[in-house]
Amino acid sequence: MKVLFLQPPLGGWVTWGRHIAINVNHAQLAANLREWYPEIEIKVLDCRALDMDERKMIDAINEINPDLIYMGDALQTTGVAAIAPRYKRAASLIKQQNKDVKICVGGFYYGANAPQILKETKEFDFIIYGETEVTLPELAKELSKKDPDIPSVKGLSYWDRGEVKVTAYRPLFKNLDDLPLPAYDLFPMEKYIGFGRIRNYVETYHSRGCPNGCRFCVGWTNYDPRGNSDWTHYRIRSAKRVVDELELLERKFGAKFVVMMDEDFNVYRPRIEGLIEEALKRGLNVKYFFMGRAPYFLRDKDLLKELRKAGLIQCLFGLEAVDEETLKKIKKRITVDEVEETVIRCRENKIGTVITWMVGFPDDDERAIKDRFERLDQIDPDIAALQMMTPLPGIPMTPEVEPYIEERDLSKWDFQHPVVRTKYLTREDLGRLAAWANREFYSKPGRIQRILYSKNIHLFCRLAARSYVETVDAHARAATKGEVFV
Amino acid sequence: MMKRDVHITARDLLNAMQFREGDLGRIGILSGQPQRIEMCLEILGNPIKNFSAFGYTLWTGEYKGKRITVGNGGMYAPDAALVTEIVCEGGVDVLIRLGSCGALRTYIDIDYVVIAEAALRGDGVTNYYVNDGFVPRAERELIEASSSIFDGKNVHYGTVWTTDALLRETKEIINRVIKEGAIGVDMVTSPFLTIANLYKRRALAILVVSDNLITGEMGFFDIRFFDAEREMVDKAFKLIEAIDA
Ligand code: SF4
Repeated sequence: MKVLFLQPPLGGWVTWGRHIAINVNHAQLAANLREWYPEIEIKVLDCRALDMDERKMIDAINEINPDLIYMGDALQTTGVAAIAPRYKRAASLIKQQNKDVKICVGGFYYGANAPQILKETKEFDFIIYGETEVTLPELAKELSKKDPDIPSVKGLSYWDRGEVKVTAYRPLFKNLDDLPLPAYDLFPMEKYIGFGRIRNYVETYHSRGCPNGCRFCVGWTNYDPRGNSDWTHYRIRSAKRVVDELELLERKFGAKFVVMMDEDFNVYRPRIEGLIEEALKRGLNVKYFFMGRAPYFLRDKDLLKELRKAGLIQCLFGLEAVDEETLKKIKKRITVDEVEETVIRCRENKIGTVITWMVGFPDDDERAIKDRFERLDQIDPDIAALQMMTPLPGIPMTPEVEPYIEERDLSKWDFQHPVVRTKYLTREDLGRLAAWANREFYSKPGRIQRILYSKNIHLFCRLAARSYVETVDAHARAATKGEVFV
Repeated sequence: MMKRDVHITARDLLNAMQFREGDLGRIGILSGQPQRIEMCLEILGNPIKNFSAFGYTLWTGEYKGKRITVGNGGMYAPDAALVTEIVCEGGVDVLIRLGSCGALRTYIDIDYVVIAEAALRGDGVTNYYVNDGFVPRAERELIEASSSIFDGKNVHYGTVWTTDALLRETKEIINRVIKEGAIGVDMVTSPFLTIANLYKRRALAILVVSDNLITGEMGFFDIRFFDAEREMVDKAFKLIEAIDA
């Protein structure tokens, strides 16, 4: 049995420039497979990193001659649902060459919608329903048998004589410390590049889920809806294990900047304390970024100075909206003042700040969006990452946004294109306002000079900001003209 | 009827601000854009605010043993005239303008630098100071000193036309000023050089290209423009280091 982890040719978020990151889902699954079923052969083909077009991809796959191909991702940052048409196309090309090879997808977007998507996608043989960690290795193992018993593999959607079936619900993997560290050695680590410029760049993923469970959050789409709100069951790799991974990345792979893609890294204070202690004790030089919630950053404001010393150079937290009614509707459970104070505290400690904010809620009108922007502008983070409402199936808010969906082409479902209208704004209005806000933010005199040149934030933060500034026109083309970048 | 020759002079304004001789440095950097002044202030040692008048603020600090005054010197001809006259009256000997301009040649791209050797007066202010035939000029020694710091193919020396009417840069007018030798257009250089010339001060205008009137390209929000702005500020301080003042 030979399993191929395939990242087909793919673009990325327009605001991130030529951003080529390791697929954290593939790296973890490859490690699990290697540890649990060492008899299975593993191959990796990252076409994006190797700059391979479709033809080269097919040639390489023919040469590898795998039995099972896996595509999928855990992260929204790869391109939200705009990855799906890419994976479908890759599968279709592969099947034209070789009908017998099995193709499985899973992870973000697929996890919550496996049977529905499989019905519409004959090119796929399996879609993992829910968490991928154990299901994919078990599927590979099962397929290596003479008479595979597919229904015995929990958490799977599959074809059975022309019909889509699902297997039993797979409970969540309990202790992430029991997972091996991702199999970085199988990936072309030297090829990865952050925000078009940062070499020795790695993305990692040390926790799963988020206890807050905001109603708009796309993180829900990784999980089987038959579970018990699985997205909100927060699980972590311990601080020690996180630092083991950082150390491995620095010492073995020369990593200089690690972007921890955990959706909510700072839920537990002891984990942050442990991270500081371990990173300082081991004398690591690697710099890192993590995402969390503003209230947790404020809870830990006394730790920020030490965190900076221990390598944290930039962090992200969500604002999304600024009026209490919207914040309540989306269950964000923050206050705008908390977000503002987090920016101030981070800036005092020379930690760069990224704030996510949204447009496209059903009640949004021009005034609401402009007021939202005005407050964000005042709060003045280093980077403002605007996300347009993208109501993927599987998100609690989707049913109420469903009537406003006007764009069904998934290649546009990447946060950067308007796919919905609101009660008061057309989709075109929404795109125009998004482009306006992005332009306003990234052309403000004083801010531009701070985020591009100030030595008060780390070079990597300035390079990430540069990518946003550089791509203002391209972002406007995505938002207003539908140009596709993923 | 009015009794005084001039209602308010630059000296009146300085006096109103409690100015003392020697408050300002011998070298002055003026720019209309506050962010360029902020960048200058980051480089300047121990800057002290001199005063604010009509929204224009001057600071004086040190750089490599020289006292330098920096200030937001106006975005348009009338306010540029006001601030230039104040700093000249206040004792600044060497005036450096850090500005931006539109290019009037296809080969002068966004983020290039234009150094104004002279100005073509399309503004209204200088008519109140000088006669029709007057040609405002940058100081030759400063131009020469700048050539070793602002060098390479991205730097062009020549005449800059100053206009008051940004939205009336019509084909007829632009083609005429090109024929008269202008390679760039801005809204400040003419009064800046005129007043410096009248006060017999040494002056130089350094302009980053923000757009091109021939190709129609706009680069006001282009990262190349931001980077060039940053570089202009750094190089202006190198120039200050190099000149005898
Ligand atoms: S806090 Fe962030 S990660 Fe957690 S549910 Fe809300 S949006 Fe998602």
